[in-house]
Amino acid sequence: MKRNFFLYIGAIIVGIYFLFPLYVLVLLAFNKPEYTVLTLYPSLFLQAPTLNNLITALQGNAFIDPFMKSLETATLVGLITIALAIPAGYGLSRISRSIAYPILVLLLVTNMMPGIVIGIPIAVDFIKLGLFETVEGLALAQTLITLPLATFILQGTFSAIPRDIEYQARIDGAGLFHRLFSVLLPLAAPGIAAAFLISWMFSWDEFTYAVLLMPYHSTLPVTIYIDVTRGNILAGIAFSLVFTIPVIILTFALQKYLKGEYLAGGLKG
Amino acid sequence: MKLNTSFFLILPAVIYVLAFAFYPTAEAIYLSFKSPHGGFTLFYYKELFSTFDATKAIINTVIVTVGALALQLTIALIVASILTREFFGKRAFSTIVIIPMGVATVVAAVAFKFIFETSGGYANTILHSLFGLNVNWYQNSLMSLFTVILSDSWKNTPIVTLILLSGMTSIPKELYYAAAIDGAGPIRRFFYITLPNLRRFIGISLILRGVQEFNIFALPLILIGDHPPLLTTLIYNLYQTTFPEVGLALAGATVLVAFILVFIGIVLILSGR
Repeated sequence: MKRNFFLYIGAIIVGIYFLFPLYVLVLLAFNKPEYTVLTLYPSLFLQAPTLNNLITALQGNAFIDPFMKSLETATLVGLITIALAIPAGYGLSRISRSIAYPILVLLLVTNMMPGIVIGIPIAVDFIKLGLFETVEGLALAQTLITLPLATFILQGTFSAIPRDIEYQARIDGAGLFHRLFSVLLPLAAPGIAAAFLISWMFSWDEFTYAVLLMPYHSTLPVTIYIDVTRGNILAGIAFSLVFTIPVIILTFALQKYLKGEYLAGGLKG
Repeated sequence: MKLNTSFFLILPAVIYVLAFAFYPTAEAIYLSFKSPHGGFTLFYYKELFSTFDATKAIINTVIVTVGALALQLTIALIVASILTREFFGKRAFSTIVIIPMGVATVVAAVAFKFIFETSGGYANTILHSLFGLNVNWYQNSLMSLFTVILSDSWKNTPIVTLILLSGMTSIPKELYYAAAIDGAGPIRRFFYITLPNLRRFIGISLILRGVQEFNIFALPLILIGDHPPLLTTLIYNLYQTTFPEVGLALAGATVLVAFILVFIGIVLILSGR
């Protein structure tokens, strides 16, 4: 009994730490400004909640433009990622581990390169190539973050599909592309969907490449940063709240794939 | 499946990574040593350390990295230990501790910006109503770095928790039973069974998170701007003020890469691989 007491104390303290910032965000979004940003000691409770903050902020192009930019970029990142990760994941699942492992490590090492180091030379190159301030350019850069994890997930997915099914199709005369599209892809669909959605989510949240490669008419995270630091506070808060909702939903939908084993990547060996 | 076909399928991903990660990094290092007239120069590095006080930025980055890693590992060990037990409300608890993963760094930074303000703010509301205090969270650079550490740990502890939890569940229960029979209490069991068996998982989370801590950017940018500067915010500031001349920013970037490589080396040696 005594041990459970400490367990609950610990759980409650940790729970408050994890929930408090979200609660603050809700207060900021739904309390009147008099109780939040306009007072020295903002209220810790919902006083006469209002929807006015949100309605004012979300009207007009100030919200729609960055929202559409984010949506386009994230979708394009998801598509580029699975276009590269499906063949790579399949190929890696069909060669011996001693060759596949160094290639996976190579992919994961790229995740360790700082975005700000890669982003600056890319920005200079993109200006020459006409990709600066474009959705395509930003998506190409953000795929760096998503490709390693997506490849890893799909390598696992394809490894789990019995080789016999493939041999059977081959004996029946199906070529490589036929086997990939009509036999393997349907079986791998859940893994592919997860890889797509995780990539979508990473791009949706991404800040460093966005602020370096698309500094002027940018995605939502950069817009929120500019709003909050340049005084347009209520808009920044409202955008933050709307921006967070799809990600929280996706996080819970994908909980199965956000396991330690995946996040630790091939480093486990 | 022939080996050739497999390689052909893997090739696009590898080419992409070489073109978009390795080439720009090499380009960054090369350009940081190249003078506008073409020759080799250390000019940018001299400027970086004399005029822009990169040493201070490096020290601040190390403080944030060490502080954030220590805090995240501690909280994650506590949370993972709680999650290995069975208790009423476990499902709700395991949901709560994963929520920050779904909150974008930028949004977390916004929330913490209003919790920690120079005067007032939500943290001060609590301190004021309980003790009549009003703390300026940015009165010196150590305090500012502390708010960065606390906010960053909020966002990133869940990942460490998940990695440690997958390590803890792989430790055989028999070890604990045997130790309990031999008279080892919960604290000794933690230090003599849990920690040694988690060594590799702690190493993995240190590498993954440590590298990300050196790269920490959006959060300090929103929370404290570049007062005091970290390596990343210093680089960004140089990039913005000197663009399209990027030599100075890239010298900073090269220093950052060097630090990350050294850090990975240290962790690899310490975790015994």
